[in-house]
Amino acid sequence: MAEVVLDVRSITKTFGGLKAVNDLSFVVREGEIVSLIGPNGSGKTTTFNLITGLYEPDSGDVLLKDESIAGLKPGQIYERGISRTFQMLRLFSNMSILDNVLVGMHGRTRANVIDCMLHTPRMRREEAESVARAKEILGLFPGRFPASRHSQPALSLSYANRRRLEIARALAGEPALLLLDEPVAGMNPAESLEVMRQIRDLRDMGYTILMIEHDMNVIMGASDRVIAMDHGEKIAEGAPQEVANDPAVVEAYLGKRGADTAS
Amino acid sequence: MSFEHVFSLTVSGVTVGMIYALIALGYTMVYGVLQLINFAHGEVFTVGGYIAASTLIWIGVDASTPLWVKLGYFALALVVSVVVTATLGWLIERVAYRPLRGRSRIIPLLSAIGVSIFLQNLLIVIFGPEPIIMPTAIVPAGFVNVFGARVRILQIIVIAVSLLLMALLTWIVKGTRIGKAMRATSQDREAAEMMGIETNRTISFTFVIGSALAAIGGFIVAMYYGSLQFDTGFLYGLKAFTAAVLGGIGNIPGAVVGSLILGLAENWGVGLTLGLLAWLFVVGLALGLYIQMVHAPRRRIDHIADEFRTPEYEGRLKAVYRLAPVVAVKTLLSERTDALVHVSARHAVQLMAGNLVLFAFAVVFFMNGDVQFSSKWQHVISFAVLMAILMFRPSGILGENIQEKV
Repeated sequence: MAEVVLDVRSITKTFGGLKAVNDLSFVVREGEIVSLIGPNGSGKTTTFNLITGLYEPDSGDVLLKDESIAGLKPGQIYERGISRTFQMLRLFSNMSILDNVLVGMHGRTRANVIDCMLHTPRMRREEAESVARAKEILGLFPGRFPASRHSQPALSLSYANRRRLEIARALAGEPALLLLDEPVAGMNPAESLEVMRQIRDLRDMGYTILMIEHDMNVIMGASDRVIAMDHGEKIAEGAPQEVANDPAVVEAYLGKRGADTAS
Repeated sequence: MSFEHVFSLTVSGVTVGMIYALIALGYTMVYGVLQLINFAHGEVFTVGGYIAASTLIWIGVDASTPLWVKLGYFALALVVSVVVTATLGWLIERVAYRPLRGRSRIIPLLSAIGVSIFLQNLLIVIFGPEPIIMPTAIVPAGFVNVFGARVRILQIIVIAVSLLLMALLTWIVKGTRIGKAMRATSQDREAAEMMGIETNRTISFTFVIGSALAAIGGFIVAMYYGSLQFDTGFLYGLKAFTAAVLGGIGNIPGAVVGSLILGLAENWGVGLTLGLLAWLFVVGLALGLYIQMVHAPRRRIDHIADEFRTPEYEGRLKAVYRLAPVVAVKTLLSERTDALVHVSARHAVQLMAGNLVLFAFAVVFFMNGDVQFSSKWQHVISFAVLMAILMFRPSGILGENIQEKV
């Protein structure tokens, strides 16, 4: 069995009296695509925020390659190898496409303020390497980011391409684990199919992916494993087909009566 | 009213504009990253000037000091002033703004006003309420003849140094890693933080750079006018802030453009007779007529849907923008049959009204060609320019640096 990349150990997060995430545990292994599903408000995005350090868990621990990361700052967690995209896009829209990817590499480049001011050879070499790598990453989305567009602002992109650019920016962090928050939200079926294939390609390249998704076609087509959540708790886990037919999952989506009618 | 007079007024205007720009850049950069109007910035500028002047007084420069020693003292004063002032800027952010970050925007604003009052009083306590006098021996005193006008060497130095600093700043923001971090932080601080950017350090850096520029501005003003007072920074801060808004707050080139316009308006406004000022309105009128007759109709014609595009329809659209307002007014008064034509007619009438106002101003100014505004009107004129421009472009000349959230 492949090495465990992410190990979430019974994390809990409460907001006031609400248990947004309750005693949640799961693992993500190297080279797999795991989908997190569940009705709205079931705690999926909160889980993401707990993993990426936007929130600190009230109890429990998060381990990245056997190292505890719970309670670290988002930037530190990013540098240790978890990058993410957002449900609501958060690109730097006035910056160029290339710069957006370069910002994603910010934590990896070491040149400091003094280097920048003096324009040292070290800094220039690093800059050239970063630009080359950024272009390589943009090249992973064939035809979407031609070189002629690299200097255009991100806001000039179509919605679907902005979503792709956010994935590219996340890849720039050379992540051990990539978190995608609803990567195909708002896309038409053809576009989601393309993104789904791209996500699978990324896995084949060796990336490990944890994603939140609502689109059943994408979940069925891309994930190796699915974790279903409701009211902050894990209610099912397993192969996509298994989870989709699990009575508890059907009930969570349709309610008790709906589930009875369906079965 | 000779050419030399106009030229030297222009040089003064550009010089003052450059000084405003050095201060305005600090306002605009801080607004860019924090959406905070740092009202203590004017006082930071005064402190910069005070430190430079008091360093030179403490060293004791006089006319007998050889030139190269003077240059050394000058450099020393500059470095001391920049370092102390930059540290002060860093400290202000650390003590007065950072603990209040994330609160409603009015709270750090009050804190900024508090810091501003504190610094003014600190200057009184340390240096007393009398103005501090810059040792005249250090100030380059010569004049050169440019196109027959006498221009102070200091003015040329000020303009050159400011341009150099602005080029440097542009390069830092556009071309370096820390500049990239600044731009990312100003667009979406939380996302930048998640990309491993140390936003706190970036914000501190912004304050340091802004304060360093203000310190140089303070030094320049102390040399240019020979003295500084504890409250000099208030008016300069206000003017520079105005310039930043004029150019589009948060927009770095905008701060420079706004400052130049303000500097020129102040100098031309009280230095030129109305007869000469009228030519500005003539230029404005020419521009307005170009927009009305050529630019606007061309833009409208681009909007015609392909299935309606006939020479006749294009002619109808052009006609409403023609000089004869009859067509436009008639279209507006008649029943609304075609949205594009109707909207164009309204637009045309607005443009015509604007051009008429420009024309009226030009005529009135030409008729009173010999009159000159008293210099008491200087501040009124600069704020009138501000109002006039903001009325047409509420986000400033080059536009506010708005984060378009996608």
